[in-house]
Amino acid sequence: MPKTTAERVRIGRSSLRLIRGDITELDVDAFVYYARHDLTLGSGFGTAISQRGGPAIQKELSQLGPLETGQAVATGAGKLKAGCIIHAVGPRFNEADTAGKLRRTVLAALTVAEEKGVKRIALPPMGAGFYAVPLDLCARVMVETFQEYLQGRTGIEEVVLCVMDQREFAPFAARLALQEA
Amino acid sequence: MSSKNHRSHNAQEVLSRLGKKLSRQIAGSMVACVHCGMCTNSCHYVLANPGDPTYAPAYKADRIRKLFKRHYDWTGRVFPWWVKAGSVFSDEDLEELKDTVFGKCTNCRRCSVNCPMGVDLATFNRMARGLLVSVGIMPEGVAVVSKDQWEIGNQMGVLKEDYLDTLDWMSEELQAELDDPAVAIPVDKPDCEIVYSINPREVKYDPRTISDAAKIFYFAGENWTMPSEGWDMTNFGLFSGDDDLGGAVARRLFEKVSELRGKKLVISECGHGYRSTRCEGPNWAKFDVPFEMESSIITMLRYLKEGRIHVDKTRNSEPVTFHDSCNNARSCGMFEEPRELLRLVTTDFREMYPNRAENFCCTGGGGAMSMSEYTPRRLKSAVVKANQLKATGAKVVVTSCHNCVDGLNDLIRHYKLDMRVTQLVNLVANALVVPARVAVPAGGPPEIPGEAVEAFAAERPVLADRTIVVADDEPDQVTLLATIFEDHGATVYRAYSGDEALEAARSRKPDLLTLDLAMPGRPAAEVFEMLRKDAGLVDLKICVRSERPELRQTIYEQAVRPPEGYLDKPVDEQSLLRSVRKILELAH
Repeated sequence: MPKTTAERVRIGRSSLRLIRGDITELDVDAFVYYARHDLTLGSGFGTAISQRGGPAIQKELSQLGPLETGQAVATGAGKLKAGCIIHAVGPRFNEADTAGKLRRTVLAALTVAEEKGVKRIALPPMGAGFYAVPLDLCARVMVETFQEYLQGRTGIEEVVLCVMDQREFAPFAARLALQEA
Repeated sequence: MSSKNHRSHNAQEVLSRLGKKLSRQIAGSMVACVHCGMCTNSCHYVLANPGDPTYAPAYKADRIRKLFKRHYDWTGRVFPWWVKAGSVFSDEDLEELKDTVFGKCTNCRRCSVNCPMGVDLATFNRMARGLLVSVGIMPEGVAVVSKDQWEIGNQMGVLKEDYLDTLDWMSEELQAELDDPAVAIPVDKPDCEIVYSINPREVKYDPRTISDAAKIFYFAGENWTMPSEGWDMTNFGLFSGDDDLGGAVARRLFEKVSELRGKKLVISECGHGYRSTRCEGPNWAKFDVPFEMESSIITMLRYLKEGRIHVDKTRNSEPVTFHDSCNNARSCGMFEEPRELLRLVTTDFREMYPNRAENFCCTGGGGAMSMSEYTPRRLKSAVVKANQLKATGAKVVVTSCHNCVDGLNDLIRHYKLDMRVTQLVNLVANALVVPARVAVPAGGPPEIPGEAVEAFAAERPVLADRTIVVADDEPDQVTLLATIFEDHGATVYRAYSGDEALEAARSRKPDLLTLDLAMPGRPAAEVFEMLRKDAGLVDLKICVRSERPELRQTIYEQAVRPPEGYLDKPVDEQSLLRSVRKILELAH
């Protein structure tokens, strides 16, 4: 019987790992925040970033926005454990070509990470949840994009997919199992 | 650009998704209306706006019904002019629909129970909200709260460390009050009889409801716990119409209780939380719940009937009335239990009319308290509730819902009623008779050593060496707060406008600034943002104060660190000091 779920796969010389947790508390080189066009941190993970990280992050962001969909920028992470935060603006609320835009957004985040010399990067289920990107589509596009990107030349050694709960965990674990197979 | 021949992407999405939402119940409500008008006078918006037909439930329903007729019902395709079929083409059309479904209805279901045809406007109004949310069209407050609940796990963005810190703090308060170092709020204890879930409002604005519940569990000798995660029993999916959010939130709570192997989930007093968790949650989450679920009202009543707690009802002797929460009562049928409990813990209960299923909404339901753009409408419609309250002659209105607490507080201030709002948990805790635990020795109480008495007398005031700026345009309020703070050792500076508050903060570098949100002149949100962005004030703690709960939203919407605390107006000395000590992280 082939495995139906997996929590870690190797792609090229890198690894892709699935964990449950709070992405803003991870000790990684960078994590990705699904940002607004105007780069205002706002609520949700934005609340956690501003409360735990301090005001310096929003201050830095005020010099960088606005961004178009599919673009990403990096800032410091203030008092958070992460080395930096990559703010990526992706598709939202069932807009046209969600899959294509999501793929470009993930690639943009990885490219910025590469430029910053990031070796270990964490991403949430990009756009799933509040921004209504369907979870299955999100898992498929993200894992396919990692597969494509990590097989090329890259300094990224580990990609951590950080989900909040079992509901988010299941489709990613299933997709990683397919990848492994 | 949109025209009658070209539909915007969002409008097309809404129409496509409408088809997937057409359950038997909704389709039935779409076709059954005969426009008899029975619903009209059941709506508090209509009663407060008699000359405006756009508030009539049938009219509001027709804004949604026309889409069904045009796109999913054969009558609308054959003779659309006859059945008033219509469509949406542009994002402006969707914005107009948003104004109706979010701004002119609280989904209270009073019209639904008064419809002889069984049309459930609240259900398809909620469905329409969900369709708009799926394309990102919603009031900003709804977006803020929904995102917090999706990503932080509770609808007020309370971080895990703040939640746990509050439980610790409440445990310490209880230990001091009950003089028992063993009393504590257990967290993540497995195999308990009860897992207790709460509304994040209790953590953020009303922690006394947590300590009161803990006190009741303590005296009942209950084996209970609170979860460290998945503790929020509220569910903004009910208000926003987003079934995915509804399912995600309910599932987190159900999975946590299952993980702890809890035998029963007790839901604190919250109407929409009770309905979402107990009634709607299992369906949204597609979760086969393996434990019992119970409102804390039933739990407290059970303790009294079983003799596990004892009360002295004369401690609650003010005249009280009861406001039925729409979700608890109309939607979940919980009418008699709160009244039975109320009669056991108060001496002067007066019924409000109409009541039970016919009671009027507090006007803060359906997420209305988070939609500040509709506040004037909400408060205008609240005249119906205000008249109901006034007629009771009660001094206290009791409700079992945190939304209702905010909604009622707001209208009581607006209409200047001489009443206060409280919940059953507060009344039960206040009436608790503490069993005697310590026998006094035959020779009388032990003598306290003289040095201990001197040490107690020389104890430093709790706010010694602290500097506080009190900013409020009402001199009485400034004097009240300043006097209390000074009596407890603080150095206080007074400010009567936003600009004075900025000046005082910059020149005095206080530890804490209390900021009234309704001062004339520079808007409080702007003052707050300037304080937060001032590089010289990074350590400043800010406690916002308001008698209008919806103003909180203007602060929390700012792209800066949120305030460390929030206080209602008016506030009593004990609550004020407790909050300030918490904010300043002083020893209790």
